[in-house]
Parts: sequence; structure tokens; C-alpha cells
Amino acid sequence: MARVLVADDASFMRQMIREIVEAEGHEVVGEAADGVEAVEQYERLHPDVVTMDIVMPRRSGIDAVRGILAVDPSARVVMCSALGQETLVTEALQAGARDFIVKPFKPDSVLDTLQKVLEKPE
Amino acid sequence: MDLAKYRAVFLEEASDHLEQMGRALLDLEKDGASSDAIDVVFRMAHSIKGMAASLGYDSITAVSHALEDRMAEIRNAGRITDPTELPLLFQGLEGLEAMVRVVRDTGEPPPPDPGLTETLRVAAPAPPKKKLLRP
Repeated sequence: MARVLVADDASFMRQMIREIVEAEGHEVVGEAADGVEAVEQYERLHPDVVTMDIVMPRRSGIDAVRGILAVDPSARVVMCSALGQETLVTEALQAGARDFIVKPFKPDSVLDTLQKVLEKPE
Repeated sequence: MDLAKYRAVFLEEASDHLEQMGRALLDLEKDGASSDAIDVVFRMAHSIKGMAASLGYDSITAVSHALEDRMAEIRNAGRITDPTELPLLFQGLEGLEAMVRVVRDTGEPPPPDPGLTETLRVAAPAPPKKKLLRP
């Protein structure tokens, strides 16, 4: 089972992802409400995977991906995107994010994506 | 999913977001180039859209999505240039406030407001769609 860091400025979304991943037996080891916190929490917790919202205050999710990969080039980050964010998702993948999930979240899709990313070699 | 639980979280967060949006729009009245205020309105609309879509509140999703797209255009332009823009943004805010009130009062999804969505869409062209390829 994986240790997960959830980064999203909406408590609603953090709770939703927590519920989905914990139901599968994964552990949410930390939550971040902006991009700065996401990088700080990653450095402190070294989770197996991060779910990262794209639009966040202080530091965007894409910039936080760059910050995390600067600390740990093997980090696994999955972007949480929404309708109309295709360009930003492409930018995040180019920055080094491993994959993406789309809001509104479907539990099976979230879990399949996380599993796929966790199974890929670092 | 525990709908009642998430509805309560939605009502709390959406109300907070709409308050922040209102304050940012007042800031934009004073300074139409305030990047902080433009960013706040954009993020609040985006966040409300995501929550509403998760709960199947299609009317709130549609209006917040239109508002978000409009703010993206303003952000790209760097400022509000048209004097008719702010009243339109306030109209979007008031529409969202009314819809959130319906959820609070009835617990049901608010009815659609295609007129408001269409008004917000006028002169705010949607960004081009790109097909995403998974890595």
C-alpha cells in the first residue's frame, strides 16, 4: 500500500481523494493547500506518490512539480485537472508529472491511475 | 460518497470562495490591472466549478466554468479593458450566490440558468481544445 500526499487548495477535493485512496488501503501521509506547502511536505514526508491540483495559490501545481522533482528526480506526481485545462496538463506532463486524473473524480479511474504510476519503474 | 457530508463541505467552501470573489471584484473596481484580484476571481471560479461538478450541480458548474474562462481571458490581457466587463462579472457572482443559496435552502441541485451562462460566454471565446495523450 502506498503513502500518498494530497495537494489541493480545496478541502472538499482533499477529503474526496483521501476517502478514495484510504478505501483502497493506501495511507494519506499529508495534505497541502498550496504549491509551497506541497514541496515542503514532500521534502519532509517523501511519499510514494503525490496527487497535485494544478490551480493553487502561492505556487501553482505545475511549479510545485518542478520544485519536487528538483528535490527528488524520481518523484511520482499525478496531476488533478479539470475541464478545459488540457494545455496546463500538457505543460505539467512536460515538467515531469507522471500522469493525470480528471475532476470530477471517479474512484476507479483515480485508483487505476495511481496504481499504474506506482508500478512503473522510477 | 456521503452526499450530505460533501454538500456541507461544499456550502462552507463555496460561500467562502464567493466572499473572496466579491472582495476581489471590488478591488478590480479600483484597479482593473490588479493581478492578485484577477487571480483570486479565477481560482475561486475554478474551485467552485470542480466542487460543483463532483456533486452533479450542473448549473453551478456551467456558470463557474464560463466565469473562469472569462477570467482567463482577462488574465491573458493583463487587465480589465472594457467598462462593461465588471458589471458582467458581478452578475456572474450574484448568479452563483443565488445558486448556492438554493442548495443551502433545498439540498437540491439548482435549476439551470442558460441565459447567465450565455451572457458570460459572450466575447469570451473558449480556449482551443487539445487532445491529451497519456505518457
